[in-house]
Amino acid sequence: MLKYLAKRGITYVVMIFLTTSAGYFLAVSSLKPALLEQERIPRPTPEQVANSMRLKGLDPDLSPWERYVDWLTGIITRWDWGRSPNGAYINAEFGDRVWISTRLFLASIILTLVIGVALGVYSAARQYKFQDRVITSYSYLAYIVPAPIAYFLVQLGAININESVGDRIFFVTGISTPGVAPGWPQFADLMAHYVVPTVAITLVGWGAYQIAQRQYLLDNVNADFVRTARAKGLSRNQAIARHALRVSFIPVAQSIAFTIPAIFAGGFFAEKIFAWPGVGSWSIDAISLQDVNAATATLAYGSVIFALGAILADFATTLVDPRVRVQ
Amino acid sequence: MSSETTTGATDPSQSTVERLHVAGLHAPGDAVLSVRDLNVRFNTENGVVHAVRGIDFDLLPGRTLGIVGESGSGKSVTSLAIMGLLAPTAEVTGSVRLKGRELLGLSDKAMCEYRGNELAMVFQDPLSSLTPVFTVGTQIIEALTIHNPTMSKKAKEARAVELLAMVGIPSPKDRLKAFPHEFSGGMRQRVMIAIAIANNPRVLIADEPTTALDVTIQAQVLEVLHKAQEETGAAVVMITHDLGVVAGMADDIMVMYAGKPVETGAVDHIYYNPRMPYTMGLLGAVPRVDVAEKSSLVPIEGMPPNLLQAPTGCSFAPRCPLASDACLDGEPALAPVADDGLHRAACIKSDSLGGTVDVHDVFAAPPVPVSRFDAIPRAERATVLQLTDVRKHFPLTRGALIKRRIGTVKAVDGLSFDIREGECFSIVGESGSGKTTTLLEIMEFHPDQDGEVVIGGLSNKQAADAKTKGKMRRELQMVFQDPTGALDPRFTVYEVLAEPLQNAGMDRAAIKKRIMELMKLVGLQPDHVNRFPNQFSGGQRQRIGIARALAVNPKLVVLDEPVSALDVSVQAGVINLLDQLRAELGLSYLLVAHDLSVVRHISNRVAVMYLGKIVEIGAVDRVFDNPRHPYTRALLSAIPVPDPHLERTRERIILQGDLPSPLQAPKGCNFATRCPVFAALPPAKQEKCLTLEPLLEAAAPSAAVQVLQQAPVPVPDQQFACFYPDGEIDEDMLVVHEPADHLAP
Amino acid sequence: MTNLNAVDPAAVAQDAHLESADVVIGKSTIIIRRFLRNKTAVTGLAIFVALTVFSFIGGFFTQWDKETIDPFNIGMPPSGEHYLGTSQAGIDLYAMTVEGTRISILIGLVVGLVSVLIAAVYGCSMAYFGGKVDKVMLFILEALIMMPALLVVAVATSGGGAGLKRDLPSWLLLIIVLLVFSWMGTARLIRSMSMSLMQRDFVKAAQYMGVPPRRIVWRHLVPNIGSLLILDITRGVTAAILAEVAFSFIGIGIKVPDVSLGVLIGQATSQVSTFPWMFWVPLTVMFLLTGSLAMMNDGLRDAFDPSSTSSGKAKKAKARTIRAEKKTP
Repeated sequence: MLKYLAKRGITYVVMIFLTTSAGYFLAVSSLKPALLEQERIPRPTPEQVANSMRLKGLDPDLSPWERYVDWLTGIITRWDWGRSPNGAYINAEFGDRVWISTRLFLASIILTLVIGVALGVYSAARQYKFQDRVITSYSYLAYIVPAPIAYFLVQLGAININESVGDRIFFVTGISTPGVAPGWPQFADLMAHYVVPTVAITLVGWGAYQIAQRQYLLDNVNADFVRTARAKGLSRNQAIARHALRVSFIPVAQSIAFTIPAIFAGGFFAEKIFAWPGVGSWSIDAISLQDVNAATATLAYGSVIFALGAILADFATTLVDPRVRVQ
Repeated sequence: MSSETTTGATDPSQSTVERLHVAGLHAPGDAVLSVRDLNVRFNTENGVVHAVRGIDFDLLPGRTLGIVGESGSGKSVTSLAIMGLLAPTAEVTGSVRLKGRELLGLSDKAMCEYRGNELAMVFQDPLSSLTPVFTVGTQIIEALTIHNPTMSKKAKEARAVELLAMVGIPSPKDRLKAFPHEFSGGMRQRVMIAIAIANNPRVLIADEPTTALDVTIQAQVLEVLHKAQEETGAAVVMITHDLGVVAGMADDIMVMYAGKPVETGAVDHIYYNPRMPYTMGLLGAVPRVDVAEKSSLVPIEGMPPNLLQAPTGCSFAPRCPLASDACLDGEPALAPVADDGLHRAACIKSDSLGGTVDVHDVFAAPPVPVSRFDAIPRAERATVLQLTDVRKHFPLTRGALIKRRIGTVKAVDGLSFDIREGECFSIVGESGSGKTTTLLEIMEFHPDQDGEVVIGGLSNKQAADAKTKGKMRRELQMVFQDPTGALDPRFTVYEVLAEPLQNAGMDRAAIKKRIMELMKLVGLQPDHVNRFPNQFSGGQRQRIGIARALAVNPKLVVLDEPVSALDVSVQAGVINLLDQLRAELGLSYLLVAHDLSVVRHISNRVAVMYLGKIVEIGAVDRVFDNPRHPYTRALLSAIPVPDPHLERTRERIILQGDLPSPLQAPKGCNFATRCPVFAALPPAKQEKCLTLEPLLEAAAPSAAVQVLQQAPVPVPDQQFACFYPDGEIDEDMLVVHEPADHLAP
Repeated sequence: MTNLNAVDPAAVAQDAHLESADVVIGKSTIIIRRFLRNKTAVTGLAIFVALTVFSFIGGFFTQWDKETIDPFNIGMPPSGEHYLGTSQAGIDLYAMTVEGTRISILIGLVVGLVSVLIAAVYGCSMAYFGGKVDKVMLFILEALIMMPALLVVAVATSGGGAGLKRDLPSWLLLIIVLLVFSWMGTARLIRSMSMSLMQRDFVKAAQYMGVPPRRIVWRHLVPNIGSLLILDITRGVTAAILAEVAFSFIGIGIKVPDVSLGVLIGQATSQVSTFPWMFWVPLTVMFLLTGSLAMMNDGLRDAFDPSSTSSGKAKKAKARTIRAEKKTP
């Protein structure tokens, strides 16, 4: 098992390296920070710009290949992901933002999974009944709404609640209010900021799990092994709960690989809309600021998340499916 | 033979209510299971399907009832109805009493008390019937926990080990922690039996328990079932389509057709004195492995009726050669047959079908076809296929990044044989013996094959260019096992048959003419060419497959299990067709089959394969009547014969365990690990088997024979690879059922 | 049909069907009939067609276009002159919606169709060649899946001064980038499906007949994955429209002066309370578009897949044909 994970791990490291390198070339050839500098007032001379860029390791006169080699050397020898055009160090910037993003998504991912799977089981048990139709229709609806618009609508809803109550119950933007006393007030403030984005992401995310879990469970309800369990003396519901449910988790566990990165991708939108200064909003800002190194770093981050998701899915699958354990 | 187990014990002329009443009061007091007027209806989109139409039987403790019928006859539905496992939408009426307590109408919850406790069931497909994510131990213990909540964990574990040991799983304690996927099909079926008998059931229902298994494994599992019945004293309902399987086990037989019992009675009556044309047909449709006589099989034409409309006459009448107008007037009831009150048949002509009527008098079996090649001695006929030392080895590798070769799987290991014009050559063996790989090697003719495959004079070594390949292809065509999978569902029959012809470069008019010829040749209506495969029955689809293979006039047709997916009555028709085509067109066949009875019926020569090697080869009658290799002997002994007396008394060789993985093959004789002769040998002689590989050699006539016969005896067409042919069989592997088992009152 | 079990009443029903089917109906006819019988699907198709027609001829019903400013009607709610009102800058919303719908549908159709085409070619090649080629192609595919598409879209569409950007309108650029990142899932599915098809006996039979590989792919493989391809086209169109809206919404997809539904919705977010029509009109159109596609997709899936349980009611009516199909994958 460990060997298998190690092998997968190595494959993913190679892939991350390749995607990141490709991303670097794309960024270096299409993002030109020097042009932005020139729009400053007072307008600097081209020499001044080139000089300042060179100092930050962003020399526009070097060929993409030379810059790539420099950049890669920096990462491999010093774990230095370079600097932004404004002089900030990527490593430092990154650290803060990763924490903010992770904080936002961890709760959402867990909630999405738990609610999605639970509703899937619930609606499968009530197939074609009223509850099933409502829940499943909702999931299909979630599928045809683009994530940012859904977030925006949730935000609108929260604002409306705030307005109708006449008090600020939910914060719809930002991660915290500056200057709140530490302790309980700070925690309450944090929660108030947390609720809306988490609810928004979860509301959009669980649909896919609900539909998948419902389908997989229904596929297994009439399986031969459920019949065997009933022949042993379990009632139909007991047999489904003890046997079919566990088996229906297998494909769901496998799909984690694609959902974690999807939620993180959705996170780009969420951060942008709820004004959380996480990796997502940073990357989009970085791109509009023509920041090659920051853009590449976030791209690498995205690939790592995917790889983590994939490994996690492998792990989850082996946990629920003994057939995978014996390789 | 007398029997206390009575089937259809009530007078059919009475009304249903009366019969139910009588059943409650007068059913033999000691019947564990009595079923009265069981009816099952399904609401389908096409209307109400009346799948089971009135079944009555009483089952006494320790007795076995065999329910026999083809697919769609309602036998499995009956068993599920008794177990209360049908979908809630199914409408079940009548009465099912277990030790006098009514089961029908009980809620799912209430049924749970009986299911797995007094009433247990073994299902058909062992591969899908165990939950893949739980260990075998967990699943056995679950069955114990449900009905014995107070039992201690230790006691349950001990009982589980005991059960596994009882069903013959080696080192049961360790295997408790194994998952189902680590077990072979036969082992899983044993686990299923262990689960079923965990709580000492009074009634055990086995629904086609061995259908998905190899014959040798089937023999093992049947033996386990027999033992389980002895240990628990349970009454058994054995459901099967194979008349051979129940011949030795059952005390009584119920033959079902179109949801109704059409003949019931003691096993001997049914087999030796059938009174219903359908039963006669079923018996006549099965080839016998123990008889050399080559008569054509009896096909039952047509298809079973659909059960959407209530039949107005005898439901078998449309297929019955004896049907007269009287048969169409009302469905005949199950009535006692003159000779014995317990023997009942649902046929108005049952009295005229007494003991002396042969099945061939009733059903028109086609004459035995004679090929023009039959008269020519084999040695003088041209060779159509020759294999010389064909091998197929797969490397077995392990390791994550750097692959290490840890061994070789010798799927086919040095195979040589030839097929002459007009003959049928068969390869038999368990699954995993390399039969299918051999076919693939022949069909694919890789130039880099170690050995040589010569087809119609062209060697695979020369088959580098497309032209030679095309020539070889035209000599050789294939018919597949699963007639549904072998036909593209999106092609009409016309397109299916046109494909090889277009490929051969024929023009449209010629293709059309040829297709009409082919349809007639295989017995299909030519105007059905525009239909899709799913509009045909299984047997008709297989005929289409045969027509496609014959389209380009090949010399040799490779048949991969051509009838194993078909119902017995349909099977007979296809076998007869193959026989007839061979004679008429002068074809040669290479047949792969696991059903030795079919092989015996249509082949001239046979090769027995074990782990990639031929262990015995020769003329089919010679090999089957006088098998020399212990494996051939075991294989033949594993085939159940539809003859109750013979089945009950004959001794059978039960091989231990499954086919070993080719990786574990010993250095010497491959078969030594399971060999019943080897097990009985003194260690000194065993040494030879373990170190030396026996070669395939013709048996020299024994010295005694040579002395008796002055002239040199012609060497019979039989070769085998064993140092100790006809050796004594180890007693542990030899089973003879006590005749008392069955003959006791 | 095996000779083994009789539990399935469907098998019995099927036999009944076999006997009564005198007329041979083509597969496609069956599928079209079934699709047409599904009311939801037909409604979806009707809405989608109507929207497409609207996006092409809608412009003729108004004198305004997406660039002309009406100085007398700035930020006006819907009226006789401006059917759907005007923006803060005085541009007619109706004209912009027509234009935006057209761009969104264009992006959706092009990306949906072309990505399935790429996926089919790529997936079939992987399955057909197998071995090393398959491994390398699979690696490339997985690497592409790993790339966060969003960032690449952002980089590609906002690269300042890149020559590419100047020569191409932003919608074309978005199409290209979406195409690069939209075909992998389908390709993987097609690969595994063709691989299992290659193992099927009817493909083997064709091989043993000596039918050339090209013909096998064309005659056996493609028709048998055809239903999957069609389903993936509708799914791909929906996904592309959604992606366009999402990207444009946060300002990294289509760029002004090009108009799309996403741009319209995105621009209006800051004015929901002041000019609500500017937000809700394009949003409604988007819902109609994606909703109609989802309805069609559902109907198609039911028409192709007899075992689908997604529409319980429609099933009964279709049962007859479904049973006949049951044997086909």
